Amino acid sequence: MSLERKDEHDHGAWLEEKDLSAVETTYLKSLMWLDKRFRIVDYLELMEDMYYKVNLQMPKSHTEQYNLDNKFWYWYPLYALGSFSVIAYIVAALTGALLGFYYAPSTAGQGDPEAYVQLVAIIKDLNFGFMLRSIHRWSAQVMTAAVFLHMLRVYFTGAYKEPREVNWLIGIILLSLTMVFGYTGYLLPWNQLAFWAGQIGVEMALAVPIVGEWGAQLLFGGFSLGQPTLQRMYILHVFVLPFVVTALIAIHIAIVWMQGIAEPH
Amino acid sequence: MSDNEPQTDGSGPGIVAPDDEVPTWRERKERTTGLSRLTYEYFERARREDQDLRQESSYVERDVLGFPAWPHETIRNLSLASFFTGMILFLSSMLPPHLGDPANPAQTPEVILPDWYLYWSFGLLKLGPLNPELSILGGNKLLSDPLYGVLANVVVVGAIAIVPFLNKGSARRPVEQPLWAAIGVGGVVFAFTVSTLAVKNLVPIEPHLLFDLTFLLPFVAATITYAVLKTMREGYMYDLNRRYYRLRPPR
Repeated sequence: MSLERKDEHDHGAWLEEKDLSAVETTYLKSLMWLDKRFRIVDYLELMEDMYYKVNLQMPKSHTEQYNLDNKFWYWYPLYALGSFSVIAYIVAALTGALLGFYYAPSTAGQGDPEAYVQLVAIIKDLNFGFMLRSIHRWSAQVMTAAVFLHMLRVYFTGAYKEPREVNWLIGIILLSLTMVFGYTGYLLPWNQLAFWAGQIGVEMALAVPIVGEWGAQLLFGGFSLGQPTLQRMYILHVFVLPFVVTALIAIHIAIVWMQGIAEPH
Repeated sequence: MSDNEPQTDGSGPGIVAPDDEVPTWRERKERTTGLSRLTYEYFERARREDQDLRQESSYVERDVLGFPAWPHETIRNLSLASFFTGMILFLSSMLPPHLGDPANPAQTPEVILPDWYLYWSFGLLKLGPLNPELSILGGNKLLSDPLYGVLANVVVVGAIAIVPFLNKGSARRPVEQPLWAAIGVGGVVFAFTVSTLAVKNLVPIEPHLLFDLTFLLPFVAATITYAVLKTMREGYMYDLNRRYYRLRPPR
């Protein structure tokens, strides 16, 4: 008995162990001879593959089913709005952190309130300050707009349907928080827009029967606007909302990751 | 041809025959005899040999299911993100924001408004005329006008939130569900009209007419949308429902 491993691929030995007629032997030998030189197996595999492809019509892909091949611009561009809002959010977070170095949430001061004075200083004195505020403001606007449009896209393409209800609800919370983010943000300069928009907020809170006054105390620090209001809006804007919204966005995207993107239609 | 066999035009009873009844391609080949059987056996051996050689080599073969995260996806995403960030930077440099006058409680501006994305909410606060007066309470309103407006906000957000629990099924396109698309268009138009109501001081339309239009236009838009989509649906659903799983039997 030999210790040498048996060659399983010894076609000659395989041929000998079979009891074949002369015709069969000749045929098989010429086949092997040809295959060794021309690799007929490969072509046979190709042929086999083609046979499958010709005879079996595969289930239509999504784009085929809905005849989307020539309709690329129908919905696809709108599928970038979610990531667009995330990008705008990141830009706003970065510029916001920089703005925070120079801002003071204070209504004190003779004449103009301290917050407003600080903002004027950022715009006029700080190098690149005008651009910084401009980027922060615009990325916030863009984020809000993108979130609205993202929601419209989700609605009109039915992407909120059955397995994705939870993400739709999270999305609505995120949409509301985005607007709260914006609201607390544009109250910070303590200009006329800020003050009177804050006034609307207080009046809305006070209109609610039982919890209204408590809510006004909590959110606005009283029934009229002043230092406590600005302080609370600042804390909401730079301390509470960033963490809450970032966590919710992470969950939102994680769910999209798990469930897959609802395909374009 | 019997009734049970699949037809080439897809009209047969079974679209795809059950797996356990149909011989696999390998089984078909193994059943043959003579030279074709010999050919099959030889080719199987040769193929096996190739496979063994391939597995012995250090070259790793793998199925590519997508682009690698690095560098393809990363560079693509970075370039897209840079493009969008660039657009934001361009906007900020071209259209710097306005700061306005400092807060002055003593001086009420002519037009009090929040930022643009809250116009719809502010508009809902101005729905006082819809708040019914109940004579049974001595002509007192059941709800104060501001509370009514705040509740309108809650109703709107709540209505949007429950949509997935009302609308089920696999239909995705507006054409497939004209009603829901019409509701959506009505909602969008209402968001615009109610925003216009919020800035009514600036709109050169008579206030009563504007108030009526606020509620009329969404219905008009929704009805038009519904009619158009309903008309489109007939032909669309026909195309969509043709069978798309078809197996031609091998000759």
